[in-house]
Amino acid sequence: MSQTAVLTPRERIARLFSRQPVDRMPFFSGQGMVTLPVIQSLGLKFSQIHLSAEAMAEAARATAERYGFDAALVPYDMCTVPEAMGLGASFYEDTGGVLYPTISTKWGSPEEVIVPGDVMERGRLPIVSRAISLLRQGLGPEHAVGTWLLGPYTLAGQVVELDVLLKLTMKDRARVEGLLDRLTGLIIHIGRAYQQQGVDYISLREMGAGSDIISPRVFRDMVQPRLKRILDSWRPPRVLHICGATDPIIGYMNECGAEALSMDHKNDLAESQRKVGDSALLFGNLDAYRLLGQATLEEVRGKVLESARAGADAVWPGCDIWPELKEENLFALAEAVKGLHV
Amino acid sequence: MSEERKQEVLDRLKDGVINYDEEAVKEAAEEALEAGIDAYEAIMDGLTAGMVVVGDLYEKKDYFVPELLMCADALYVGLGVLNPHIKQESRGNTKGQVVIGTVQGDVHDVGKNLIKIMFEVAGFTVHDLGRDVPLEKFVEEQMKTDAEIVAISAMMTTTMMGMQKAVEMIRERNPNVGIMLGGAPLTQEVASLFGADGYAESAGNAVQEALKMLKNLREMRKK
Repeated sequence: MSQTAVLTPRERIARLFSRQPVDRMPFFSGQGMVTLPVIQSLGLKFSQIHLSAEAMAEAARATAERYGFDAALVPYDMCTVPEAMGLGASFYEDTGGVLYPTISTKWGSPEEVIVPGDVMERGRLPIVSRAISLLRQGLGPEHAVGTWLLGPYTLAGQVVELDVLLKLTMKDRARVEGLLDRLTGLIIHIGRAYQQQGVDYISLREMGAGSDIISPRVFRDMVQPRLKRILDSWRPPRVLHICGATDPIIGYMNECGAEALSMDHKNDLAESQRKVGDSALLFGNLDAYRLLGQATLEEVRGKVLESARAGADAVWPGCDIWPELKEENLFALAEAVKGLHV
Repeated sequence: MSEERKQEVLDRLKDGVINYDEEAVKEAAEEALEAGIDAYEAIMDGLTAGMVVVGDLYEKKDYFVPELLMCADALYVGLGVLNPHIKQESRGNTKGQVVIGTVQGDVHDVGKNLIKIMFEVAGFTVHDLGRDVPLEKFVEEQMKTDAEIVAISAMMTTTMMGMQKAVEMIRERNPNVGIMLGGAPLTQEVASLFGADGYAESAGNAVQEALKMLKNLREMRKK
């Protein structure tokens, strides 16, 4: 038996991040990872998995086990931190179907934003913390547990009206930078708390700062220093995720200090591999919506192979898995992973 | 007024939009009215011509979304001055009605607001439903107003699926309405799959799509 033949999922992920040999490509994610068939099998509604630690953890555990993911991941929505900061959220409990929570009313300017000192006690952050803890206990030592937080620019767009934020980015940069600094401290604090709960990896998602929204120069000057500060403050392993256009900023992303970079299907993975070399692992590039919602099973298998050949170091959806997916496609993707030896 | 003088004012309107200089646009718009330039001509050959250049700059990656928003603000200042002075006959046959909104579950309305302005510039009557709009509201508003176009926006992958249901619901009640989908997560393939007639890839491309429409309108007007 080879040295890498009997890895547990958790060992597989740990060895990947520490650049040790693995038996096959790890299969996990740093973006929303839960499906409607799993939620329904638990007798839950979509809105319920955001509102209790038990439901959140159970949905993550059942998703990992049903499809053979190497990790379970919480939370699922982007409102946990804004809510803990004092903003109200809509959960669409009476609407049915899959509607992610949204922030009902945002602050009108950066100066109005409140960053509470006791944020870990507020809103749903205690729920997320407890869900991590439940997963850590419930999954056993074999499975990995992951979590994620929004980056400061994306979080700023969640708490301040987006058009105000984007225009101030050009018109009055100091006001935006003041807010980004405050949010950077907050994100560091919450990430450390999640790490203390026992997560095996943490993903920093800065999807509001892709090159289809702000210029690479603005990214370099305003966003990159804060991403670096956050990642420097967390213990490894850390993933930096940006979706949308990332080709122009992949070099800047790589300077932020994460062990792995995650991109969606708009990224030219082979070109990113050439630019990044061995200095970071590359995840993603799989079109989660198309692959799991529209593609044929043959296409699913083909895309997984294509992504691996282009330089992906893990089978990792490039975006949130849409919960109402074609389940056979996710099973096919999981099956394809088994043949991917590194 | 000489042609040179008229062109100079129109160029200032155009440049003011391109350089997102609201004050310059306001001054040029007031000057256009004082000089007797037709308000609609000033909008189409000054302000809109500027936004066409802005669209090109976005496509070439010289401008990004913040710049687009500031240019749109400058355009809006100009519209505020010029719109009340438009003669009804100037709009010709270009007028129509659009129902626009951001799909339920999505509170991001930057792209929607940009394309709304473009429709307004073109002389459409815009029925803006806002953001986080329940799907049946699109159907109700279209039926109520008999709008020719329904434009629906989503900024996130996690919300775009609602669009498909909205398209189905609208089609069921009125098979002839034009449906335009826009937003960052969409592709042409997905928009077609959802049954849409029009597609814009992102906030910037939504503007591009509207600008193409405006370009056509301007060309039609010149013929």
